[in-house]
Amino acid sequence: MMTLSIEQLVPIPLKEKLNTRTSDVWLKNIKASSSEYISIQAPSGTGKTTLIHFLYGLRTDFEGNISWNNKDLNQFSAEEKAVLRATEVSVIFQDMRLFPELSAWENLELKRSITDTISPEEASEWMQQLGIGDKKNARAQTLSYGEQQRLAIIRALLQPFSFLLMDEPFSHLDNKNTALAASLIAQIVQRNNAGLLLADLDENNFFPYHKTYML
Amino acid sequence: MSPNKPVGILKKLLLRNTNQRRLISAWVALCIGCTLLLVSVMMWSVFQDLLQGKSSNDSLGSTFLTISKKVDDAAMANKEHAQFRAQDIKQIKSAPQVQDVGMLCPANFKVSASIGSGPMAFYTLLFLEAAPDRFMDQMPHSWQWKEGDNTLPIILSRDFLNMYNYVFAPSQGLPLLSEQTVKALGFTLTMGEGPNAKNYRAQVEGFSDRISSVLVPQSFIDFGNNKFAPQVPLSISRVMIKVADPSDKAFTSFLEKNNYSTNAEQLRFSKMRSIVDIVSGATGALALLLMGIGALVFVLFIELTMSKAQASVQLLLQIGYSPKKLSRFLMAKYIPIMLSALSVAVLIAVSIQYIASQKLGSLQLNIAPLPSLFVWCAAACSGLVLLVQISYSIRKAIKS
Repeated sequence: MMTLSIEQLVPIPLKEKLNTRTSDVWLKNIKASSSEYISIQAPSGTGKTTLIHFLYGLRTDFEGNISWNNKDLNQFSAEEKAVLRATEVSVIFQDMRLFPELSAWENLELKRSITDTISPEEASEWMQQLGIGDKKNARAQTLSYGEQQRLAIIRALLQPFSFLLMDEPFSHLDNKNTALAASLIAQIVQRNNAGLLLADLDENNFFPYHKTYML
Repeated sequence: MSPNKPVGILKKLLLRNTNQRRLISAWVALCIGCTLLLVSVMMWSVFQDLLQGKSSNDSLGSTFLTISKKVDDAAMANKEHAQFRAQDIKQIKSAPQVQDVGMLCPANFKVSASIGSGPMAFYTLLFLEAAPDRFMDQMPHSWQWKEGDNTLPIILSRDFLNMYNYVFAPSQGLPLLSEQTVKALGFTLTMGEGPNAKNYRAQVEGFSDRISSVLVPQSFIDFGNNKFAPQVPLSISRVMIKVADPSDKAFTSFLEKNNYSTNAEQLRFSKMRSIVDIVSGATGALALLLMGIGALVFVLFIELTMSKAQASVQLLLQIGYSPKKLSRFLMAKYIPIMLSALSVAVLIAVSIQYIASQKLGSLQLNIAPLPSLFVWCAAACSGLVLLVQISYSIRKAIKS
């Protein structure tokens, strides 16, 4: 079982600001395991995306410690980070981060081929399930934000993982598509016996959370 | 390759910014740089071989000289004045530019050569000498003699044959003789005189440009002097020396000061050797510079292409691609391009050397038909340096 440990974490750019308010996450000690569903509620400007980027190892401008499986994230080599991202921790970015010049299918195939643990047929079925089955050959940059967000969600599921990090994953989706996407995510998270950490602006019930923190 | 395959998608993503015209320019620059470097190493190596090697290439100004004492009135009265003493040899060894000294050992006994019988018979008195093997420009496989052997290998000065063919034979109405014919003709050498005289069958095995003499193996001279002239002390009147630069003033004044004579033309001609040395050195430096520029153009091309694909590289790393995997993918794309440029350069160098060996062969300049080990080493080193440089640039682009 994978563990996540956060100790006295504080983003350096927000350090001054955080002295004037309280947070359940910043400057606190949190431990989570891959069986837990965690919700992070974060009003704008409180560092929601920053937290996700810290946990995923994209940014290092923080004080305190983040450990995955008791190993300090700052001690991970580039190769170890690649293994972490390909097999243990997956992410749905708020800004999607698709390759705009590639087709929807190529975006998925690029991710799927890293571990080749999900078949192309299943990936294709998930596209159908989320209503973008007819967009396979469309360039990512020509898709609507909603379609891009669904594509980013499917991409994050095309690998084995113990933790799924999500940064406002349904911000561009209507209720119906949100329900479909959340259902697919829940199904795959369960299949992987994984935990999830979702950061969003407001309180939500997309998943049956075990813990909720105010950022 | 299908663009839907992962490798095809990576190619589309990372190499889509490859400007074909720039790629061709970079390839040509690299190829020219490599070619110039290899050709200059080849030139240097060929010149080294021609000027300092043991092969018969003395027409470019030899570094092997035969010196003797000038025959003056004193020498006419006393033969010993024309002979080298032990202290003379010692002094020559420490003279400027001199790298090696060897003695030409003469046969102290009478020698006569005869061929044929009856009206076509040919008979002449002859002399024999032996030179140390390391001073020989010709070394046939059969160049050996041991006591009991009845056949004696001989190396003849090419000048002697030329004088026979161009001066002696026409004036005497004798047939001209090619080198092959002379080698095919066997003749009899008679050593000593009286009851102790002994006949040997002699065979010309080669022609020397370097030593004006009739050469036999040292072992034969040692044996002959001992057997046919045991009472005559060994007298050395000609010494061979190997010098770094025969045109050096300190060396020529040493010769003059000690009243030594050598072939003045050889000394004058050897100035060309110094010039050739300087030219090949300068060409090498220039080639190294051009090779550096060629490599730089190629590496900058890779870095430019990579910088255009920087966003894609970063995103690939973010979704879990390993830096090593990306590095390997890019190396697999660029290394064959580099190797193809290097291979073409090697091919050009090999062709130039082969053509040069054919053309120069007719000028009595013998160079190998294939490039020397130095050229192959230079090609391997260039490949290695380029490999390291490309690998470094790619890794740097992926890390940044």
